[in-house]
Amino acid sequence: MTLVVVTIAGAFGALCRYVVSGWVQERTGSSFPVGTLTVNLSGAFLLGLIAGGGDIDSVAVIAGMGLLGGFTTFSTWMVETVRMGLLPLHARAIANVTVLAVGGLALAVIGYSVGS
Amino acid sequence: MPHPASDHTTPLRPPRWTTTAWLTVFAGGLVGSATRSGISLALPAPAGTFPAATLTVNLVGSLLIGLFLARWDRSAARAWSLRFWAIGVLGSFTTFSTFSLEAVQLLEAQRPVMALVYLVGSVAGGLVLAVVGLRLGSVQR
Repeated sequence: MTLVVVTIAGAFGALCRYVVSGWVQERTGSSFPVGTLTVNLSGAFLLGLIAGGGDIDSVAVIAGMGLLGGFTTFSTWMVETVRMGLLPLHARAIANVTVLAVGGLALAVIGYSVGS
Repeated sequence: MPHPASDHTTPLRPPRWTTTAWLTVFAGGLVGSATRSGISLALPAPAGTFPAATLTVNLVGSLLIGLFLARWDRSAARAWSLRFWAIGVLGSFTTFSTFSLEAVQLLEAQRPVMALVYLVGSVAGGLVLAVVGLRLGSVQR
């Protein structure tokens, strides 16, 4: 049951990621991966919010966690950073790692305290 | 002349807003999410314990996306394979939100060293494996 809910929710999350990150990237016209940054930071905040709210076993919470699992992505973040580093745009690569790692932690904490 | 920095973003973001593109990403998302949740059910990590499942999927996914993109760039394969494999499957096989939350939960459980190991292991490991993937994928066969 959990597997089915998480799988379908995660696929919707992936679709939302494609739309949101593509839209942000196009609208800003930036050469920095702001699309991935947007989905990952907002997803970290929202997951913190859900986790802070408790009742981990309800179907809505499981679906929300599944959705955010698919909405955010680690692999794209890594490969976009590496590609910037290899160009070589070291400062941008370091900024991309630092902003997301620190920002993700901070936003998960903020989400958690808002939710609980 | 286009700025070279655009090279790293454009391959991951083909500006296509068609139903087929959406369905392709969704289908890939089903595969990636199912695999990730299967692994996290097999390696359960209650809040405050070491998140081995997430570490595993994020490291494996970083290696695979490097491999895939190196081959994809060279073969100039069609955009659907990028949407299915890189954005759909590997995008949702790996996760950033769970990674951030688990690191916070380790800190909350008074395990700062474990949190640091998890954080640095995921990020440094992911970066190294993405480079390894890109390099291995671009070796001539």
